[in-house]
Amino acid sequence: MGKVRLKYFSRIRETIGKTSELVEIKSKNIEELIEELQSMGEQYSVLQGRDFIVYSAVDQNMVTDVKTSIEGATEIAFFPPMTGG
Amino acid sequence: MPHKIIVAVQKSDFDLNSEMETLKLKTEKAGAVVFFVGKVRDLEDDNLKYLEIESFEEFAKSQIKEICDDAADKWDLEYILVKHRFGRLKINDNIVLVITSSKHRKNAYEASEFIMEYLKSNVPFWKKEVADKTQKWVENF
Repeated sequence: MGKVRLKYFSRIRETIGKTSELVEIKSKNIEELIEELQSMGEQYSVLQGRDFIVYSAVDQNMVTDVKTSIEGATEIAFFPPMTGG
Repeated sequence: MPHKIIVAVQKSDFDLNSEMETLKLKTEKAGAVVFFVGKVRDLEDDNLKYLEIESFEEFAKSQIKEICDDAADKWDLEYILVKHRFGRLKINDNIVLVITSSKHRKNAYEASEFIMEYLKSNVPFWKKEVADKTQKWVENF
C-alpha cells in the first residue's frame, strides 16, 4: 500500500497518545488496517470499538463499510461518535 | 436555491447583531429569519469549569456544507449560515449559530431544526466536559 497519514480524535487520540502519524501499511481495507495496527501496540486495541462505536473517514469521506478499499488513500481518520451542536 | 450559504468552523465568537445586519443586505425577499444559538450550559450534578470542543476542521466544514446544500434542496430558503466553534469554552459561551431565512417562517423553522439535528451527530466535533469533580466526553443520545 505505502505510507498513509492516520489521524485520531477525541477518546481515540487520548488512548493512542497521538493526534496523527505517518505509517507504512499493507492493508487493503479498514478492517484489515485495524487488525494491522494492533501489532504497533496495545493502545491501538481501542480501534476495535469494544467501548464505543469507532468511525473512520478515508480522505474525508465517511466509511460505512469496513471492507471499503483504502488503496490509494492519503489520510485515514478514526474517531468516536460525534457530538456537535 | 438560497442566495447564499455561509459555513464557518472557528475558534472565535460570533456576533448576532452583525450577522443580522449582513443578512438583511442579502435577503430583501425574505420575511422570516430563524436564529438558533447553542451555548455552553452548567452541569446538573457538578460545576463545569470549561467545555473543550475538538474538531476535524476541514472535514467538519465540508460536512456542514453538505447538509446546508441538502436543506437548500428541501426548502425554499434565501439564506443559510452555520458557524460552529471549537476550543475551550466557558459557561454561557456560544457554541453554534444556525441562521435560516425564507419568505415565510415555516421553511426557515423546519430547515433550522433539520440542520441542527444533523450537526448533533454527523459532523466531526467532540465535546469534553471538564468539571470540579470529573471530566468526561459527552455522548449524544
